[in-house]
Amino acid sequence: MRKLLLLLMAVGLCVTQLLAQTRTIAGKITGPDGSPIPNASIIVKGTNYGTTSKANGTYSMNVPEGSKILVISAVGMSDMEISIGNKGIINAALDASDKALSEVVVVGYGTQKRKEVTGNYSNVKGTEIAEKPVQSFESALAGRAAGVQITVPNGVVNNPPVFRIRGTNSISLSSYPLVVIDGVPTFTGDQGATNAPANPLASINPNDIESIDIAKDAAAAAIYGSRAANGVVFVTTKKGKSGRAKVSYDGWVGFTKAMRLPDIFNAQQYVDYKNEALNNLKAVSPSTTGSFIIPNDKNGNPINTNWYDEVYRQSFSHSHSVSVAGGTEGTTYYFSAGYTDQQGILKKNSFNRSNILLNVDSRVNKILSVGGKIAYSNEKNKIPGTSGSLPGEAFNSAGVARLALGLPPNVAPYNNDGTYNIASATAIGGMGSLVNNANPYTFNNATMLLNLNRSNNELNHIQSNVYVQLKPLSWITLRSTYGIDNVLIDNDVFLNPYHGDGTSGGNGPGGGATASYLKNKIWLWTNTAQFDYTFADVHNFSLLVGNEQQRFTGDGFGINRRTLSDSAYTVIQAGFTTNNTAGMTITQNYLLSSFGRLNYNFDKKYYISANVRQDEYSALGVKKGNFYGFSAGWEVAKENFWKNLGADQIFSSFKLRGSYGKVGNIAGINDFATYSTYSSGLYGGNPTLVYNAVGNNKITWETSKKTDVGIEFGLFNDRIRSEIAYYKNNIDNLLLNVPQAPSVGLPGGPNSVFMNVGKMYNQGIEFSANAQVIDTKDFGWNTSFNFSYNKNQVTALANGLTEIQTTTSSLETVNKTVVGKSVGYLWVVRTAGVDPATGRRIFVNANGDQVYYQNTAPTGQFQWMTADGKQYQKNGSNASVNQADDGVLYASSVPKYVGGWSNTVNYKNFDVNFLFTYQMGNYLYYGTNAGLHDQRFWNNSTDLLGNYWQKPGDVKKFPKPLYGDNTSNGSATPLDINVFKGDYIKLRTVQIGYNLPKSVVDKAHISKARFYVAGQNLAIITKYPGPDPEVSSNGNSGTSFGVDRNTLANGRTITLGLNVGF
Amino acid sequence: MKLKFIYTLSMAGMLVSLSACHREYLNPTPQSVVSDASAFSTAARISSQVLGLYATLKNGSFYGGRVIVYGDVRGEDFLAQDPNLVTNYDVWALNVTNTATSVKGLWLQAYQVINACNVFIDGMNSKGLAVVGNTVGNAYLGEAMLIRALAYYNLLQYYARPYADGSGSKLGLPLRLTGILGPGFSDLARSSVADVYAQILSDLNFAEANLPLSNAAAAASAANITRAHRNTAISLKTRVYLSMQKYDKVIEEANKIVPASAPFTAKSGVANALVSDYTTIFKAPYITAEAILSMPFTSSSNDAPGTQNDLRSYFYAAANGVGSIFSLNPSGIIANTGWTATDARRSFIVTSVATQNIGKIYMTKYPTATPVDNVIVMRWAEVLLNLAEAKVRTTNTVDAQAVALLNAVRNRSDATTTFTVASFATPADLINAILTERRIEFLGEGLRNNDLMRLLQTIPAKGVVAAKNPADDGYIWPASSDEKSLNKLWADQ
Repeated sequence: MRKLLLLLMAVGLCVTQLLAQTRTIAGKITGPDGSPIPNASIIVKGTNYGTTSKANGTYSMNVPEGSKILVISAVGMSDMEISIGNKGIINAALDASDKALSEVVVVGYGTQKRKEVTGNYSNVKGTEIAEKPVQSFESALAGRAAGVQITVPNGVVNNPPVFRIRGTNSISLSSYPLVVIDGVPTFTGDQGATNAPANPLASINPNDIESIDIAKDAAAAAIYGSRAANGVVFVTTKKGKSGRAKVSYDGWVGFTKAMRLPDIFNAQQYVDYKNEALNNLKAVSPSTTGSFIIPNDKNGNPINTNWYDEVYRQSFSHSHSVSVAGGTEGTTYYFSAGYTDQQGILKKNSFNRSNILLNVDSRVNKILSVGGKIAYSNEKNKIPGTSGSLPGEAFNSAGVARLALGLPPNVAPYNNDGTYNIASATAIGGMGSLVNNANPYTFNNATMLLNLNRSNNELNHIQSNVYVQLKPLSWITLRSTYGIDNVLIDNDVFLNPYHGDGTSGGNGPGGGATASYLKNKIWLWTNTAQFDYTFADVHNFSLLVGNEQQRFTGDGFGINRRTLSDSAYTVIQAGFTTNNTAGMTITQNYLLSSFGRLNYNFDKKYYISANVRQDEYSALGVKKGNFYGFSAGWEVAKENFWKNLGADQIFSSFKLRGSYGKVGNIAGINDFATYSTYSSGLYGGNPTLVYNAVGNNKITWETSKKTDVGIEFGLFNDRIRSEIAYYKNNIDNLLLNVPQAPSVGLPGGPNSVFMNVGKMYNQGIEFSANAQVIDTKDFGWNTSFNFSYNKNQVTALANGLTEIQTTTSSLETVNKTVVGKSVGYLWVVRTAGVDPATGRRIFVNANGDQVYYQNTAPTGQFQWMTADGKQYQKNGSNASVNQADDGVLYASSVPKYVGGWSNTVNYKNFDVNFLFTYQMGNYLYYGTNAGLHDQRFWNNSTDLLGNYWQKPGDVKKFPKPLYGDNTSNGSATPLDINVFKGDYIKLRTVQIGYNLPKSVVDKAHISKARFYVAGQNLAIITKYPGPDPEVSSNGNSGTSFGVDRNTLANGRTITLGLNVGF
Repeated sequence: MKLKFIYTLSMAGMLVSLSACHREYLNPTPQSVVSDASAFSTAARISSQVLGLYATLKNGSFYGGRVIVYGDVRGEDFLAQDPNLVTNYDVWALNVTNTATSVKGLWLQAYQVINACNVFIDGMNSKGLAVVGNTVGNAYLGEAMLIRALAYYNLLQYYARPYADGSGSKLGLPLRLTGILGPGFSDLARSSVADVYAQILSDLNFAEANLPLSNAAAAASAANITRAHRNTAISLKTRVYLSMQKYDKVIEEANKIVPASAPFTAKSGVANALVSDYTTIFKAPYITAEAILSMPFTSSSNDAPGTQNDLRSYFYAAANGVGSIFSLNPSGIIANTGWTATDARRSFIVTSVATQNIGKIYMTKYPTATPVDNVIVMRWAEVLLNLAEAKVRTTNTVDAQAVALLNAVRNRSDATTTFTVASFATPADLINAILTERRIEFLGEGLRNNDLMRLLQTIPAKGVVAAKNPADDGYIWPASSDEKSLNKLWADQ
C-alpha cells in the first residue's frame, strides 16, 4: 500500500512536469581516448531532467528554460559539470575516474558510488581472483580485504574454506557470510552427503566475476536484516558492453604437489625404533614376545613402503573459459562457457565443472528495461572414500590421510603374489611382523581402499533471474526481479566388501552402497522502487523501498544397500541383500521482508544514511523482527577550512564516517526447530511413533549490534588511498543447546533445548592502504596492504551451561568455550618434559604437581607416580592425570591478526603480481603430532631420532619408548606439547605475465594475448611443524577452530596460463 | 506520457499483487513427523506410540544390547579381548569413570525411556483414554508403566547400592513420574532405593491389573513375546522382589502363575513354559512359549541396535577370528565340572581355531549379524529359578518344589543329571546349586551383575582384574558426570 501511494505521487509529479517551458539540447559524450561512452547520465543539476547517452555516445533531451548546469557522469569516469548557457550542442569528454574512489559499490538492491558510501565495504575485483587454481572464488579472497579471514582447511578439492568477516559471530549457528550472487542469496557450505566436499559456490567460474563487494558493518549489511550478522558478500557477474562482440579465451594448466609433509620413518628406521620400544616393554612385561622385521618383496629386496606415494600424487589440473561479450545500442550480453578438471593431491580426488553463463540486459525504450541471467553448472566431486579431513572424519579408521602417516613402512600394499596385503576386514597384513604372536597392524590398507572405494557426488546448479525495470521519470526506478537458485545433488558411495568400512557397521558386511538425491531450491521475488532526487542543487536524496519474499524447499531421498549379492558388483542398482533408506529430507522455509534505505547528502559533503528491514521467518518462534543500520559521513576535504589549511594539497579526500545498527543471524536454524514432534520408526518391523524432538517456540534471531567508525582518505590526488576502521560487534541472544540433566529424559538433543541465551563480542581495528607507487608509461607499481586485528570474547552462556566442549570427530575434545575467553579455547593437559633419570613423561595436574607416567609399570611401580615414587592418588584413591580433572585453558585458537600484502608491477609488456598473506596470534592443536609419536605400531616422525630418552641422564624431548604407550605423547589425552603457534606469512600467489606486443597481436588479428606463469603457496614462514598452519579439521565450526588432526596436507601449485582476446 | 502512465500502472499493479505473498509459508507443517499436538488424536497413533516405547527400550544403549553386556561382563565369566573403552573394557575391569560411555549411555537411555513413558502416560490421561476407551487405554498404560518399571529397575542395579545394603535406605534415583516437555526441570534429588522399588512395584501392580491375559491365542506368538501381558508383569515382579530379598513376595507372585508341580507350564494367562530344546530359544524366529518378553529386530537400519551395541559384536567370534570383544573365562562357569559335556547349553560354547584367537573360547548364543538376534528381557526359566531360590530361602529347607524347579531347568538340557532332594545336604547347597544353574542357564543374558548385587556378593577376580568387595569403590557405577553437573540437587552416596 505504501508503495502504491508513492507511485501515485510519482504519477502526479509527471503531470505537473508538463507545465514547464523547455528547449532541446544534444551532444556527444566521449572518453579520454575519444571513444563514445554509452549509458552516461546527463542531468540538469538540481532537477529531475535527465537522460542517458546512447551506444554511440549521443544524447538529446529537453531542459527547462534557465537551466544552468549539466552534470554528466558515467561508470568509471569522473563526473563533469558544464555550464549550459544558451548552447544547443553540448559535447563532453570525460576523464577516467579518480582511481577506485568513484567506482560503484554493490550495496544490496542497488549500487552506490564508492565516494558516497558511508557503510564499510571491501571490494575485490574479479581480475584479482581470476586465473587462480581454486575451485570456488572465495578461496582466493584470502589477504585481499581487511577484516576477511579465509582458511583453506586442507588439500581436498572443493572444500569450502573457513570464511569469517570480522571474527566468529556465532557459536551454534553458522558464521559464514551471506553470499548474494547477482541479487539472489545462494547456498553455502558443503552440500554433498559423501566424503567429497561439495562447495556450491564452486558453480561460479571465477573468470565470470566482475567484482565482489563485502559489506562488513551494520550500515552496509542491514539491508539484509536478519541474515547480515556475518557480513554480506555481493558477487556481480560480468555483463556485456555495447559495441563489437569481444571474444576472449582464458585457460591454464597446473601441477600441484603436497607440501611440507612430515618426515616419517623408512622401514629400517621404523623396525629399529619399534624393536627398541618393544624390548623396553619386554623388560617390564615378560609375556611380550615377537619383533618387527623387514620382509622381502617378490624380487627379494627388503620392503620399504613410502605410504605417501600410495596416497598422494602430483596432480594435474586444467581450466578453460571462453566468453563473448558485446551488444547493440539497446541490448548487451555476456555469454561464457567454462570447463575445468582439477585433480587433488589425494589420488582419485578431483573436481570437474562445466558451466555456462548468459547475462542479457536490454533497454527496450526510454522507460522500460528488461534482462536476466541464466547460469548452469555441472560439478563432479570425486574422492575414493574418506580422506579423514572433513568435519567428523578426523579419526576415521579408513581416513587415507591418517593412514599415509600411520601405516608401517615395513609392510607393502600388495603381497608378493600380487594380492592385496590384508590380514582381515580391517587390518593390513603383518607380513611376518608379529607381536605376541599376532599381527599388530590394525590399520586399513590404504591402497586397497583407494582402489576399490568411492564417495562421489554430482551437483547440477541452476541460477537464473529475470527483471523488468521502469524509469517513468529520470529519478524514479521501479524494478521487479524474480530469481531461482536450484542445487540438485546426486550422492554416490560404494564401499568394497573385502576391506575397510564396507565390511561392517552401516555399510557392511559384504560391501555397501549409498545413493541419494537431494533437491535444494530457492525462489526469490524482489520488488523495489528507487527515487533519486536533488533539491536546490545541494540536497541529494536517494530513497529505496522494497519488498522481497524468498522460499527454500529441500527434499531428498535415497537408499543404503548392504551385502553384495555378487562380489563383482560396484553400483547401487546391482544386487544386495539388505535395503535401508538414506538421505530422507523434506524441509522448507520462507522469509518475507520489506525494507527501505534513505541516503541523503548535502552537497556531497555531509552524508547520512538509514537502512531498515523487517523480516518474518518461518523457522522461528518469534517470527517478526526489525533490523536497521544508520550511518553518517563527513567529507572534510570539501570544507573551506580544509582548503584554507592547505590540506587539500596533500589530501585529495578525507572522509570521516560512522555507523551503528542491529542485524540478525538465522543461518543454520533447523526449519522445524519450534516444533515438538513424534517421529516414525520400527519395533520388530511394526510402525512406531516416538517422541523425538523438543521444540522451542520462543526462539528468535541471534542479534548483532554493530558499531563502526572510520576514516577514509586519499593522498596526492588519490595515488595513495587508505582506510582505517574500528568496530565492535555485540552479539546477543546466541542460540545455544542448553543441556538439561540427563535424568530429565528429553529426546532430540538429547537433553538439551535450543534457546536464545548467550552473549559474545568481536571488536577490532582494520587498516588498508593502496598506493600507486610508480605510474609511468612503461613502469607501474601498485601496492596494497591490509591488516586487521580482532578480539573475540564470550561474555555469557546459559544458566546451567558454564562451558561448551566441542569434540573433534566425537573422540577428542580440545576446544572449550567459556565465558571470558575467545570461542573454542584450546583445552589441554600440561606436561613438564621428560624425567632425565627414568625417561618418563612428566605430567602436570590441576594443582601444578608433577606426576610421572609410564605406560607399563614394572612390578612394584605404578603407571602414575608422584615425584617421590608413590602411587599417584587423588582424594585418597588411585588416580591418573586426565583432561577432565587436570586440563587447563591453554591458548586461543582464534587468530588476532590477519591480512595481506599484494603488489602488481608492470614493466612494458611484463607484469608481475604477488600476494603475501599472514595470520598471527593464534595457536593450533597439532593432533596429528600425537599420532606421529604414538608408541603403538604407528609409524613415527623422524624428529624422534636422537631426541628420545635412552639412558639415565639423557635430557631429551621425547620419553623412553615403550611399545604400546599411547599416553606419553598425547594420543590418549590432548597435551600441551602438541599445541603450537599458528603464526605464518605465506607467499600465496606469484604471477608473472607477458603481453604480446601490439605489433604482433595486430598481425595475428587478435586484440590481446597474454601468457603467464603462476605459483600458489610457494613459500611459508612459520614455526608450525605441521604441513600448513592454515588448517581446520572441523571445517567451519565456530567453536572448534584451530585443530589439525590427521588432515590431508595442502598443495603447492604451479600454473601456466594464456589469455587471448579477439 | 500516456506510455509512462501505462507502464507505471502495470508496475504498480504488480507491486500490489505482492500483498498476495504466501503468508501461509510462514507456518509450515513438518510432513515427515507428527506434531505433539496431534500425537494422541487417533487410535492408530496411540497404538504406534506404545510400540514406540518398546522401541525406545530397545535402543542399543539399553535392551538393544548393552545392558545385557554390562550384566555379564561385570561378572567373572568373561575376559576382555579389546582394550577399547567404548566397547566396555572398563565395565569389565570394574573401573568405569563418571564419563564412561557405559555410565553416561545407560543413564541417558534409561531416562529417555522413563520420560517417554511419562509423557505417554500424561497424554493418555489427558487425551488418549477418551480416544481409545478405558479398557484398551489402561492396557496401554500398563505397558508404559511396565516399561518404566524396567528402566528404573535396571538403573538401580548399576547406579545405586543394592537393596540389601541398608534395606533400601541408601540413595537411589531421581524419581521422575511426570512427562517433561521443555527446559527447567533438571534439579531433582534422589529418592531412596526403597522408594524407587516401591514405585517399580506400584507400576508393575498396575500393569498386572490392566494388561490383557494374553495378546494372542498361542503362547509362542510374536504378540506374546514382544509386548507385555499379565504374566510379564508378574514375572518381572519375581525378579524385582528377589532383588529386594523379599522372598515371600517372590513366592506369592510366582504362585499366581507357576503350578505346584511339573510340568511347570503357566497356569494362567499366556501358557509360558520351558521349551524342550534349549537352543531354539536363541534361534530365529525366536518365538517360543519360554520367552516372556524379548526385543525383536529386523534388517531395517532403524530397527537395529547400531554398531558396538549388538550382542553379536561383543560375544561372537567369526570363523576367521574377527569380531569378538569378550571371550569366555576358562576358569569361569564353563569350568564347572557339574556342567556336563553333553549338556545342550554347552553347544553354545566353541573354541576358536582361527589364528588370531586360537584356543580362545567364545559363546555363540548370538551369531547373527543382520538382523541381529532377539534380545531376551525375561524368560520362563528365570521365573522358575526365582521361585526355587525364594522357596529355599523362606523355608530354609531343601524344598522339594525348589528341587523340582531346578531339575526342570537342568533336565531339559542335560538328561543325564537329575537332582533329587537327596542331592543336597543343606539348604545352602541347594541355594548354591540354583545360583550356579542361573550362571549356566543365563550365560550371556545379562543377569550376572544383578545376582551379585542383590546378594551383596564380592565380584570375583578374573584375568588381570582383582575382586571387588561390596565396600570397594567401583562395586557400583559412579553417577553420570552430566547428571552430577547439571542436577543441582544431586548428592553422591
